[in-house]
Amino acid sequence: MAAPAGTAPSATPASAVSRHRIEQGFFSRTLPFWLLLPTLLVLLAIQVVPGLFSFFLSTQTFERGEQMFVGLRNFERVFSSSAFNASLFHTLFFLIGYVTLTLIAAFVIAQILNRKLRLSPFYITVIFVPWVLSDVVVGLIFRLFIVPDYGLFSSFFANPGIFPPKGISILTTPAAPPLVSGVPFPPAPALIYLIFASAWKALPFITLLILAALQTVSREVIESAAIDGADGWRTVRHITFPLILPTLIVALFNLTLNGVNGVGLVFSLTGGGPGTATEVLSYLLYTIGFGRLDFGRAAALSVFMAIINLTLILLTLRISRSEREA
Amino acid sequence: MNSTFASPQMYRARRHLAPWFFNGAMLVICFFVLIPVLATILTSLKDQTDVQRNPPVVFPCDTPDGQFNLSACRWSVEGYTRILEPRPNPNALLGFEYVGRMVSVYLPNTLIYAVSASVLVTVLAGMSGYVFSRYRFRARRALMVGLLAITGIPLLTNLIALYRIGVVLRQTFPGYEERLYVIIVYVGFFLPFSIWVVKSFFDTIPRELEEASFIDGCTPVSSLIRIVAPLAAPGLTSAFLMAFVGIWNEFIAGYLLVGKATLRTAMFGLYDFIGQFVIGYQVLAAGCIMVAMPVIVMFLFFRKTFFRAMVEGALKG
Repeated sequence: MAAPAGTAPSATPASAVSRHRIEQGFFSRTLPFWLLLPTLLVLLAIQVVPGLFSFFLSTQTFERGEQMFVGLRNFERVFSSSAFNASLFHTLFFLIGYVTLTLIAAFVIAQILNRKLRLSPFYITVIFVPWVLSDVVVGLIFRLFIVPDYGLFSSFFANPGIFPPKGISILTTPAAPPLVSGVPFPPAPALIYLIFASAWKALPFITLLILAALQTVSREVIESAAIDGADGWRTVRHITFPLILPTLIVALFNLTLNGVNGVGLVFSLTGGGPGTATEVLSYLLYTIGFGRLDFGRAAALSVFMAIINLTLILLTLRISRSEREA
Repeated sequence: MNSTFASPQMYRARRHLAPWFFNGAMLVICFFVLIPVLATILTSLKDQTDVQRNPPVVFPCDTPDGQFNLSACRWSVEGYTRILEPRPNPNALLGFEYVGRMVSVYLPNTLIYAVSASVLVTVLAGMSGYVFSRYRFRARRALMVGLLAITGIPLLTNLIALYRIGVVLRQTFPGYEERLYVIIVYVGFFLPFSIWVVKSFFDTIPRELEEASFIDGCTPVSSLIRIVAPLAAPGLTSAFLMAFVGIWNEFIAGYLLVGKATLRTAMFGLYDFIGQFVIGYQVLAAGCIMVAMPVIVMFLFFRKTFFRAMVEGALKG
């Protein structure tokens, strides 16, 4: 820092001034560009171009080793397939269970942590361990619980008294016959188990988000509500809840995005099975693209998923922006 | 339950008993959250006959007549040795070496990918985060919205294209380096989030410091390196740590983009174990523990940095 200031006067005044002017003029005007350039190049190469390329692939077919333009036929074929229909419902049921379970559990835990117990930092650290684990590890850990016969929980699930008529085995029991044909409801036990495993993994992050929001709610507001005669439930409903609503929405969309896109846990926990009972959209995309090497249809499905994602992100932005302005 | 205890009236009335009640509740919650991890550690320390018991046992400490007895515990590190596979080697430092693929191939690969990609992510995010925080220019808003839109492209959408691009690159360039490709892909995946985190850190550093350094004769570049970067170190650290953990744990991109068996990642190794050790659950559990341990330790050391980065990244990004 001191060096340029010290050396500048010793150089000949004219050259120092002109050098200074060049730096100030050319360099400082274009500095932001040079700083941004590598980032832009990488993002272009890894995110933008591949995204557009997938869009292009969705209009192509690769039959008989030849690449051909087929317009929207890939989309038609994907959307009309029964596998897509089933996996759309699997994803929907998964999301409903996963988002509800995680949000409620995280809200309750965050409320307790917000009491600023002396051990709160310790609790937060312990609760956060699942966040650091990868999807594959979480899937394996939960798989070890339920491997037939030898898993710690497998005898619990196999108990006919708890799960009539003859007990279940998460990894092999198929879904019950659907109540409405074409809608895979009720879902297979494996899908419900997948919801619990995913919620366990997502819980820490969502708890932290809600806790951060709760800490911005001032104690005075809560206490004055109590003085006005509000009971506990009313305080939560009319004071806490509206105040942290923007964060809850961010959490909701975050969970939905992760739920739609996450595939690692399905890989290591159930592998899409039993049958296709846990084949969610992202796993279906994988099986079409890399199992059957039908890149055209996989790309069509991935464009569909990208549209879901972008809509969710735009909605989040809209809501958080309108909240900020309000 | 929650609604009742959120009430300050109730809270005040129960002030003397509230702390132990909530501490008790939290301890129970913590225990339940940790059950899967603890169970995995226990499984990883059993021997083959104990993981194959029906009904299963939590602790391998029962005597033949079914009594629980601590002195009868059969703890075993068989799971770990089957992953490490130590072999005598006179040339090695300790007289033996580990030849298990997980330790000799997969974990080193993951370490290389994670370290190099997160260093690159940190440098690039530092540079562009600085620009987004300090400069106002015409394309700024468009670029920042673009950054958000990019996070909306599902990983698998990009991976389909990146997989095909990788195939083409391999055929076109004889010197194609798979590792380089994977590293750049990881940089691209983790960059948008890191830029948001770093930018929000830069936003908290007062501009006056830089202006003062200009007056002292600093050029913008030297001011960035000497004044701003040290102040932004916590932000850059958190960007590095988040990227490191993310890449360490990443499975699907490494699985799809790496073809050579010697370049595969640790997560692939674990996934591969599912088929390999169909019945050796203690090996699977030991693998999970070994792969997860580095990032768990890292998290315990830097937990505050992680928490801050997460909240910043989620709420602002």
